[in-house]
Parts: sequence; C-alpha cells; structure tokens
Amino acid sequence: MSAPPQRTEHVTCLGCGCACDDITVVTGTAMILDAENSCRLGRAWFGDGVVPAVIRSRGRAVAVETALADAAALLAAARRSLVFLAGDISCETQRVAIAIADRLGAVVHSPTSEIVASVLAAQRRGRATATLAEIRLRAGLVVWWGVDPNERYPRFVSRYLAAVDGAPPRCGIAVDLGARRGPADADERLAVPPTAEVAALGAMRGAVLGHDPRGTVPAPAVILARRLAEAPYTALVHDAEPVGPSADPDRNDALIALAQALNGPSRCALLSLRGGGNRSGADAVLTWQTGFPVAVDFSRGYPCYRPRDDPATLLARREVDAALVVGAPDTVPRAVAQALGQVPTVAIGPRASTAAFGAAIAVDTGVAGIHEPGTAFRMDDVPLPLSAPLAGPLTALAAMHALADRLAEP
Amino acid sequence: MSSGARLRIVGGAVYDPANGVDGEVRDVCIEGGRIVAQVGADAPRLDAAGMIVMPGGVDIHAHIVGASVNQARRLLPEEHARDVAPRPTLDDPTEPARSGTGGTVPSTFTTGYRYAGLGYTTVMDAAIAPSQARHAHAELDDTPIVDAGFFALLGNDEYLVRLLAAGDGARARDYAAWLLGAVGGFAVKIVNPGGIARWKTGGRNVTGIDDQLGSSHVTPRLILETLADAADALALPHPVHVHCNNLGQPGNAATTLDTMRALAGRRAHLTHLQFHSYGGGQGKGWRSAAREVIEHVNAHAELSVDVGQVMLGPATTLTADAPVEYLLHASSGRKWTNVDVELESGCGIVPYTYRERAAVAALQWAVGLELFLLAKDPWRAVLSTDHPNGGSFLAYPELIRLLMDRAYRDERLRRVNPRLLAGSVLLDGLGREYSLSEVAIITRAAPAKLLGLRHKGHLGVGADADVTIYSRDADIAKMFATPRYVLKGGTLVVVEGHLRRAPRGCRIHVRPPYDRAVSKDLKAYFDRYATVSFENFPVRGLVDAPVEAQ
Repeated sequence: MSAPPQRTEHVTCLGCGCACDDITVVTGTAMILDAENSCRLGRAWFGDGVVPAVIRSRGRAVAVETALADAAALLAAARRSLVFLAGDISCETQRVAIAIADRLGAVVHSPTSEIVASVLAAQRRGRATATLAEIRLRAGLVVWWGVDPNERYPRFVSRYLAAVDGAPPRCGIAVDLGARRGPADADERLAVPPTAEVAALGAMRGAVLGHDPRGTVPAPAVILARRLAEAPYTALVHDAEPVGPSADPDRNDALIALAQALNGPSRCALLSLRGGGNRSGADAVLTWQTGFPVAVDFSRGYPCYRPRDDPATLLARREVDAALVVGAPDTVPRAVAQALGQVPTVAIGPRASTAAFGAAIAVDTGVAGIHEPGTAFRMDDVPLPLSAPLAGPLTALAAMHALADRLAEP
Repeated sequence: MSSGARLRIVGGAVYDPANGVDGEVRDVCIEGGRIVAQVGADAPRLDAAGMIVMPGGVDIHAHIVGASVNQARRLLPEEHARDVAPRPTLDDPTEPARSGTGGTVPSTFTTGYRYAGLGYTTVMDAAIAPSQARHAHAELDDTPIVDAGFFALLGNDEYLVRLLAAGDGARARDYAAWLLGAVGGFAVKIVNPGGIARWKTGGRNVTGIDDQLGSSHVTPRLILETLADAADALALPHPVHVHCNNLGQPGNAATTLDTMRALAGRRAHLTHLQFHSYGGGQGKGWRSAAREVIEHVNAHAELSVDVGQVMLGPATTLTADAPVEYLLHASSGRKWTNVDVELESGCGIVPYTYRERAAVAALQWAVGLELFLLAKDPWRAVLSTDHPNGGSFLAYPELIRLLMDRAYRDERLRRVNPRLLAGSVLLDGLGREYSLSEVAIITRAAPAKLLGLRHKGHLGVGADADVTIYSRDADIAKMFATPRYVLKGGTLVVVEGHLRRAPRGCRIHVRPPYDRAVSKDLKAYFDRYATVSFENFPVRGLVDAPVEAQ
C-alpha cells in the first residue's frame, strides 16, 4: 500500500521573480502530485519533481567523486574559465560558485548579463523603488509601461496588487509601446510609438520638473506625467527582461530619471519585473562578495568589472577556454548556450546531463526549492527561504562544496 | 595558533580600562580562546615588550551588511574599481581566502579582513529591516573574523504603529521580543521615528517629536517611549538605539534635546549625535549646538551616545532615513537610491564627499570633535563615524589622532572653511587631548559595556581573547592603523601587520521570551498585509547561542 500524499506548506516558487511563498506542494512517492496556489508558470516549474540523476564524464557514467575530480582537473588546467550562474540554485550554492571563480581566476556571468544596460543605468543614476508590500498598500496609480504582467508574472496582480485594508483605490494605466502592450483589462490606456518611448519619458520628466515639453511627444503622455505628480504614491512598472524586439538602450535611464523626478512633488516607485530561478539572488551574492552585480573577472586575482563583455562573445572569441555552468542548463540564455559548445564545459545543476550544449562533465543535482533548501531573492530583493518538499539526488550545494574542496587540494 | 591553544603575551603595556589597568607592563594569558589568569611555563610566548596591548576594538555602530549596504555597493562600481583587494595568502588553506573590493562600502570578505587589520574584532550593523534579516545573516556568513550582529529597525514599523494607534502599546514589548528572536537581531533600532512612515505615505517628513502620524495619536514621542520601555522591560543587553528625527537639519539640536527629555529615566543610546547637534534653523543658517547637546548627555547617566564623526573626504550616506537622503540628492545632484521597505522601514543612499572648504562639512567635522572633547564621561560617549556615512571605518586612526594630538587638530582646523564656525568651542582653544586609556575606553571598553557584551572589550579572566597589540609610533594614526598583532578568540589573525588567519566570526543575537499570544495577532497581520508568509519570516539555523538578558 502506498503512503498517503504529503503536504508541504509555505513553499517558495521560483517559476518567476514573484517568488510566491504560499505554495502547498503535495507529494506522493518520489514525485509531486500538485502545487496548490501556483500559477501556470509555477505548475510548470514544479512539474512532477522527477529529475535525472546522471553523473557523467566524457560520455561515461562515473561516480560523483570521479566526475568532480575530472571537473576540477579540467577547470584547473584552463587558462581562463567562465563560471555561469544559471537558474534554480540557491544563494548558498551561488556563494560557493563565486568562491570557485575567485580561486580559478575565472570570469562570472549570469542571466543578468543579458540586461546589463539596465544595471549600468542604475549605477549611473541610482533608482527609486519599493518592495512589493509597499506598492500593494500605497500605490493608487499603477502604470504598466509596455508590460502585461499576466504573461510572464501571472500572479503578480492577484498577489501583489490585491486590495488590502487601507490601500487607496487603484487605477491601472497601460502604456502600449507597439507590440509591447500593457494588460488588456487596464482601467485606462495610451499608446506611445516605440520610436518615441525615450522622448516621451524625457518629456514626462520635464513636465514633472515644470519644464515645457518639446518635440513630437504625444500630449497624453505629458498629461499622464502631471497626474502622476499629483497622486500621493505611484508605481511605474516595467519588465526588466523584455522579450521581443530590442528596446532603445536609453529607456533604462529615462525610466529611472522619471521615477526619481516624481519623488519631488509626489512619491513614485519604479518596479523592474524579473524572471525566476533566483537570478536576483545571483546579483545580490555577486555584489556582496565582489562589489559588482554581474560580469566579474577574477583573472587579475581580484574582482574587475567587465559589464561590456558578454559571455557569448567571450566564448566565441575563445577568451575563455573552459566553462562551469552551475544551475539548470535550460535557464542559460540561448546565445550563451550555443557558444558553450565551443569549449569543454562542466555542468552542475538540475538536469545538467540534458544540456543542449553537451557538457563534457555533467553532474545532475536537485532543484533548489524542490529538492534542496536554501535562500532565494524575490525580484524586489526580498530574501525568502527555500524548502525541499521532495527528496532528490545530490544537492547542488553539496556538489559545489565537493568541487571547491577538490580545487583547494594542493 | 589555534583557538584552543595557549599563549602568554609578554611584557606589553596593557590598557584595559574595564579592569582599571592603565598602561601597566604585565602579561596577558590565553587558553581555549579566553583570557585566563595563568598558563603553564611551557606555553608559547609572544614578545610584546615595548608594545601597547588593548582588547580588540568594538564598533558599536556601522553599516557593513544587508540589503541597504548591498544597494550601496551596487551603486559604487567606480569606487570598487579604484580600491581592489587581492586574495590574501593565509596560513590555513582550509579557510576561505577571498579577494574583494573596498572603497567606502567594501565587499563582505574585505570588510572582515580590514576590520581585523585595524584591530577591531566585534562590529554591530546598525540598521537591518526585519524582512531582510535573512540577507544580513548571509552576508555576515561571508564576513570573516569579526563577531557581529545587527539592530532591527522598528521605529516606523507598520504593525507597531497600528498597535500604538489602537492604544495597545503594552503589546509592543512582546512584539519586539518576538521580532528580535525571529530575525536573529541584537537590539531595537529606531530611525527617525515616524518620519520614514510619513515619507512613505506621500508626505515629506516629521518636523518634531510631537507630530501626529496621519489622523492617529501616534507621534515620534510615543514610538520612542514605547520602544525604550520595551527594551528596558525585556532587559535587553543594549537599550534602544536611537537615530533622532531631523537628522542633518539646521536647528535640529532642539529635536535632539526633546528626544532626550522624552526618554528621561529610561536607558537609551543616541547614535551619531554629531548629525543631530546643529543650531540655527531654516532661514537662520547653521551653527554648532554641540555644547548644549553634550551637556545634557553629561548630566544624564542613563544616556549614552556615539558621535558619528564626519571625516573630511569620501563617504557614502546610507540610511533608513530615506527622506533625508532625498533632500541630499536634491541639493547635491548626486546619484540616489531609495527603497521603501516592506511596511517596515526605508532606505536611502547618496554617495557624498565632505570637503574641507565646504562650510557645512567643516561645521559637521567641528561639531563631532566638540562632542568628543566636551564629553565628560568617555564610558558614555564613544567613537563612531557612522561608517560609511561620516567616513569609512578605516578613518578611525585619523580620528584618534585628532583626539589625542591638539597641535594636529589645530592645524587641521586652520585649513577648514571657517564660515560657520563662529561660536565653535574648537576655536576657543579647547585643549583636551585624549589619553591612550581614554582611547581604549571609547573604542573597545565602553562600546562593549554599552552593548552589554560581558566577554568583550576587556582583558579580565573569562573575556574572549580578542587582543590588539600595537607597536609604539610617534604617528598615532599610523600606530592605530597598522597593529602589529591581532588575536581573535585566541587565534593570531594578524602577524607583523599581515593577515594570516581568517576564522569565522560568531553571530551576536538575542532571543528574549515573549507572550506567545502575540503570534496569533501577528499571523493575522501577516496574512493581511505582508507579502512573506508568517511561517517563512523567521530566520532559522543560527548556531551561536544568544546573549542573555542583563
């Protein structure tokens, strides 16, 4: 007779950056039966919880000790390695991965390397933002700047903009930027041609600061700016990882500058939506260990910031001759995954053995938040505990500690 | 030398003011990580002849870890690129040896190494939002050598304000106790009580301690009184740690004095007093009010302060007092980060430089020194720069020189902008020079005592074997910047000025008892307002035992 299903409550989901921590995971024998409260992305992320447990070195199934010894030898022999912090690992594992990169003199990247323009903009200007409980309680006006949260962040509205006692009546305004449209059920909407986006943001900022708008900016955007300046507290929401055609790189500066200016007459929080897998955690850990949130090169024996070196280019130019991918291979950006085929790669993480880039050494591990506990960061940098509702294979943390120990051997 | 090993430090001039030792040449014995009365004749010896022996430094107020500090790090890539910290070569290959970056907000490993290199072995982070405690602990896990803890921000907490508005302040004690235990914090921190809450509700700031928050009867005064009473009732090792309203504003000394009077009869520590000791007012300019403020402190034994000295040079202003940072951004044009934090607190960051030719910066520098020099009891007025707000902790040796060397101080005084210094007692030829014993008090003995850390800040039997040994040098700043030896828990971590070991530091926290009934109400509050589950809020797994109530 099989055991009755087990229920684990308050599980954190890393299906997107919302990191909802109200999931109840129901497990049967060695698999997930249900992930209650989760959205379609969450259900897909939890899946049935069954992951491979393959450990392979150069095409042969080997013991984990052998794989890690081979991995250590491969990385130690490299002239310069890339350490890529992929998704679905805990901050604890990220910490060990960066320690390994420090020891190897490697260069560290993460999915954030794809949006480095927004990182640089925030480093030039700072930013005015808020965590999600603040926005839910205070924001009376929410502007969806070319983003429909229902697409990539399905529970964002129902969970983080739900009505709570004391919150003002809320008005959602969709700003449609060509194909990048706000939510269909917004209370109001206006259209801004994508080519005029940065100009519109600049004119809105000018209007907030009391300057006369100039140029061909749509008047509705300026009217909206004046409304924002008169509202007690507003949220300006955009997708920090927009899909589709490339946006004007200056939009990041312009969004930040508008939100900051609105804090003169009013209060405004710019909220940058981020995807899942604990990518915000990678930024946080890298920052506290090195001083830089992404693109850190240890080759000189200390952290150097190389934000304009994207990992795919480093691989294509053979500026790195080995790679260590820590985390789920399917969270590696496509261009990086394609380029990874050009250097010998060690993959340690959930489903590492299935990596399309064909790792020379692959160590499958559990998924952080499903099979192994730890810490992850929500898109607004609020840290959350990860639980392990299901037993799984070797943890990524244990594998990385073992690899670090191997590399530390004289 | 391992932490279990024995050691006799021989022949040094010992400054251990907590035990009444003032420069006497005597041996200090160590065994099992603690100070002991004697060790056997066969114990290894460390020759400290001609050197100065003090307890390890204790920093009562700095910002070294957590979400706000990490936001500041993100904002400062230029600083980090200019001040790189290569991986040290340690004696023990099993200890992590990590590279990093410095500047005013160093990376975590570099923070631990540099504090140890300065002879400091205990540090308190002064402001952690409770929901971000998990982050702070993770950073502390990566901050080696120093024993550390943090103060939990409570002065603008939505749940607390609701309790007070409902006339249920009596429950604040249980809430504070629950919260400190849940987040692994050490003390209750109050930053600009009520002012951050007003900033987050679309207002600007409170103007004094009797401003009402919204339509309720909750005022900064009520928040101060309630939390000070709670900390006293819980017998917390450290009393409420108060950052007053109106930080950095001309005329704010009146608010500071109001705050101290409101807290009369209660234990309280007022932090970075320099930033709260200005006379004048809006439209009336600036002047020093250091004398009025410190004289009140001198006359009230239940109060203690740290100074928050401004050091001329680079700084990063970084505080939960977000409305102040907005003003600094607006007036300086420097880049600015603001985060409204999870119905608990705020965060504002502006990189800043205190220039000696800038009149207000010169006044701030002078006010800090006046507070130090007019303080009658060094056990209640201790050293800080509010790192990195008034300057980096690496500036402590320079500050010590300013306190110990009048000629140097006067020479620096002649170089700063004098425009706002009329009436400053510094110009009156304030001649006091701190002694080595007084420096030992304000940098280790008194901070440890004010924190209630009985095993820190002294070299009596049973104390943690945290010891700093300096080679005498005519240049006081150089002497304090480069200790010859530093021991942490009996382990030699700095030898001949070089980092040799980097053991993990312990976590300093409390776990006060509370009436479990508060949990039910809190659960309902979390379900309604928080975005983190009540069950996921507590930080679990701290391995170090909590500090006992006093």
